[in-house]
Amino acid sequence: METSDVTASDAPSAVGTVRRDSAAGRLTLLSALRADAARNASLPPAAAEIGQDAPSSAVPADPLDEIGGSGAEDLKRMDGRAETYFFSDLYMTRAYASYLYRLAEKDLVGLVVETVREDSRLYPRPTPLDFFRGPPFTLAQDQLDDILTRIREREDCRDIRECRASNGARYLYSTLHLTVAHAEALTEWNEVGQAENP
Amino acid sequence: MSQIFGWTGKILRVDLSTGKTSIDDTMKYKDFIGGEGIGYKILWDEVPAGTHPYDPANKLILGAGPLCGSGVPCSGRTTIVSLLPTSPFHGPGSSHMGGYFSVEMKYAGWDAIVLEGKAPKPVWIRIEDNKVKIEDARWMWGKGIFDTMAMISSQMGKEAQVAAIGPAGENQLNMAVIRTGTSHSAGGHGGILGAKNVKAVAVKGTGSVKIAAEKAKVQELDKFMMSIIGANNQMVVPSHPQPWAEFNSPGSRWTGRPGLFWGAANPPVETGVCDPKDMQSVGFRTQKAVFDLGAGAEKYTVRMGGCAHCPIRCHSQLKVPQLEKYGMDPYVSNTCVGWSGPRGVMAAGGGIKEFDGNGADSSVVGNGIGTTMVDDLGVWCNYGQIGRDVKWFHEKGVFKRVLPAEEYASIPWDLLLKGDPRFLIDFYDRVAHKKGELWHIADGSAWIAQRWGLGDDYWDHKDNKLWTRGGYPVHHSNESAGQVGALISCFTNRDAQNHTHQNFIGSQLPIAIQKEIAGEIFGSPDALDPPQNYTRMNEFKARFVKWALVRGRLHDSLTLCNWMWPMAVSPLKERKYRGDTSLEAQFFSAVTGVTKTEAELDKDAERVVTLFRALTVRAMGTVDMRGKHDAMNKWIYTPDKKDGKEIPQFTKGTIQMEKDDLDKGLGMVYKQFGWDEKTGAPTKAGLEAIGLKDVADELGSKGLLPA
Repeated sequence: METSDVTASDAPSAVGTVRRDSAAGRLTLLSALRADAARNASLPPAAAEIGQDAPSSAVPADPLDEIGGSGAEDLKRMDGRAETYFFSDLYMTRAYASYLYRLAEKDLVGLVVETVREDSRLYPRPTPLDFFRGPPFTLAQDQLDDILTRIREREDCRDIRECRASNGARYLYSTLHLTVAHAEALTEWNEVGQAENP
Repeated sequence: MSQIFGWTGKILRVDLSTGKTSIDDTMKYKDFIGGEGIGYKILWDEVPAGTHPYDPANKLILGAGPLCGSGVPCSGRTTIVSLLPTSPFHGPGSSHMGGYFSVEMKYAGWDAIVLEGKAPKPVWIRIEDNKVKIEDARWMWGKGIFDTMAMISSQMGKEAQVAAIGPAGENQLNMAVIRTGTSHSAGGHGGILGAKNVKAVAVKGTGSVKIAAEKAKVQELDKFMMSIIGANNQMVVPSHPQPWAEFNSPGSRWTGRPGLFWGAANPPVETGVCDPKDMQSVGFRTQKAVFDLGAGAEKYTVRMGGCAHCPIRCHSQLKVPQLEKYGMDPYVSNTCVGWSGPRGVMAAGGGIKEFDGNGADSSVVGNGIGTTMVDDLGVWCNYGQIGRDVKWFHEKGVFKRVLPAEEYASIPWDLLLKGDPRFLIDFYDRVAHKKGELWHIADGSAWIAQRWGLGDDYWDHKDNKLWTRGGYPVHHSNESAGQVGALISCFTNRDAQNHTHQNFIGSQLPIAIQKEIAGEIFGSPDALDPPQNYTRMNEFKARFVKWALVRGRLHDSLTLCNWMWPMAVSPLKERKYRGDTSLEAQFFSAVTGVTKTEAELDKDAERVVTLFRALTVRAMGTVDMRGKHDAMNKWIYTPDKKDGKEIPQFTKGTIQMEKDDLDKGLGMVYKQFGWDEKTGAPTKAGLEAIGLKDVADELGSKGLLPA
């Protein structure tokens, strides 16, 4: 089996890493890019570069500089509390990136509240609670119960209401965009009526 | 004769009474496109008004259109036209099946097969290219459809495509199907084959469909089509968030996603991301088993199947080993109402519950029992009506009143009420074999209402979902875009079977985008209301209704799948989610070499709509379509109540219609078609303008033209 040494010239660029991560359905962390850069800086130069003006391996390049200077307009930045995230909108929509961002930031109340508000405004439709149990959220029922408790306690979430279909399925909606009657009717339709009218 | 493209140019006529076959020229029907259009023209010309569906004078046409067999995506449908036994005036109607039958028929050189007369004894028809033989069916008569197909295939080979009836059809049950493949059923016309003593039609072809355009042109169109196609029912938004998707909808049939498998495949196949730009994963988009049967069906899914020339695989093919316990094949397949229709009978007991030690898998096993029974016996559900009827008749004591006491006592109601689907084995056996009085439930709602003395409470009960006194139920009616779906449902003699509007509004795109597209097609975004938030009727909704009716007939004539077409929307953000409504005309022009614009092809389909309307006028013997045919049942425009108070129509959260508004809507739709706004019947001028002078002349001679 042929093997070859990994050299600095083999190291992926920050832009390439973000695009590859987005294509794989994940955000790229600035901290991870920096760790990659530091690791790459410690790699030996490629043989062809020895004796030339190969860059010193002592100072890692700053991924922010690389991304900023790349002119890659598809790369988008989201700043969290302690971390910065990137995605490429060639491979990932802002909507999906926002879901991942809130999950990464552990802002689960924000995730649920903003998703519900957007669904109620956009489609419009109430959001089944089970939606958050599926991918990419995969929240456990006890997590959801805890989130709902916290939503009920928050003044700025007063618009988020719960309703149930006749089969017991639980849905959330925002009174900013749906009336109670409309939300209840849509819930029953989505959960029960639609299945009876395929 | 010049070279014909698309069509084969030949129609096979089989006179069952004499045993003679003949060839007819397709091109004399070209103004009616093909499939359904040809069928209605033959009915008009050759089947006199007042003919009983089971009379030898009735004809049954198995039809394909010029695009069938050409490789155009989603073009594997067969349209069957004849009189409808369930209709209280035996009006004309079509039934449809997917699979591979019509494509094989085209390869054998036939655009349609017309069955005429009545065979003196049970027969099946063997077609191998231009060789046609009427074969003895004595050994098949009485058998289920699965055995029948096996017997024919053992003679003709596995390449043969078979359309067959079961005991229900043989016994001339009004609610009987003609089935092809493992799970493709055309409901409503099975009894007519039975009345003609025809057990099956089997066809094998070695030819091809000739295409006029250069190969590159067709490939270009095909590539474009594949770029804008979505999942089943042209849903263009995935059910779960995915990296490529700006939108999602838990109600979408685009269920494919990472972590969801064809669990019984060996090895299991992950449906995966299904990026719309990846043509290799189109067939994974619709994991229909979990959509139709719940998450528990994933582990039983061997794969998804479907029809010829269709990249969207919407039939779940399962292996359910537990079915062997009930003497059934473990392999079972179906989609949509093919599952929900049979299991709907269990609604009277609250649905299928845990039974016979099947635990959490009881629902999948129960669905398998139901669909196996109806697919073998060949019973039609009248788009789910049989289940609603069982519930109503049981709850209201109708069964107890009309069934002889001994028969009533012999029925295992305990199984029904326990939610044990073994009830279905007993139930469908009685129905298909016309045992006792119970089987009359499959006469159809209009006939059973007369026989069992059912009154207004039956017709006007909301949950019974009966649309008109014609005895057919909702099928994407007022729940689908309010007046648009409601009015579409008035123009048929059976459930509307129209997905033109549903494939658009069911795309799962945000309402603002849908309204923009509606504005581009119909002239104003007001053509479409948000779900369950309806506004009053307007001209643009009437245009929407006309478009849906015309495209429905167009697809059933071309023959394309109206469960996918038209391509009004797409999953592509860069196209602003627009599809292309001219694609049918582009394909038609490329395949046939007869250049038609979108408007010109729609005009041809409008001719088919109007001919169908004229057939209905002739069958009913009245021009009063508004009063006698299109009149909707009262529940549709009766306000809902909450806490004892009426919920006014046109408020958010109710889909109840208003009678005056619907009456106004009917008039607006009549006007769109150039029909008489008062009666809803085609006028002399309107018929002549659309190329139906002979129809106008005959209606005029019978006094069936509006004043």
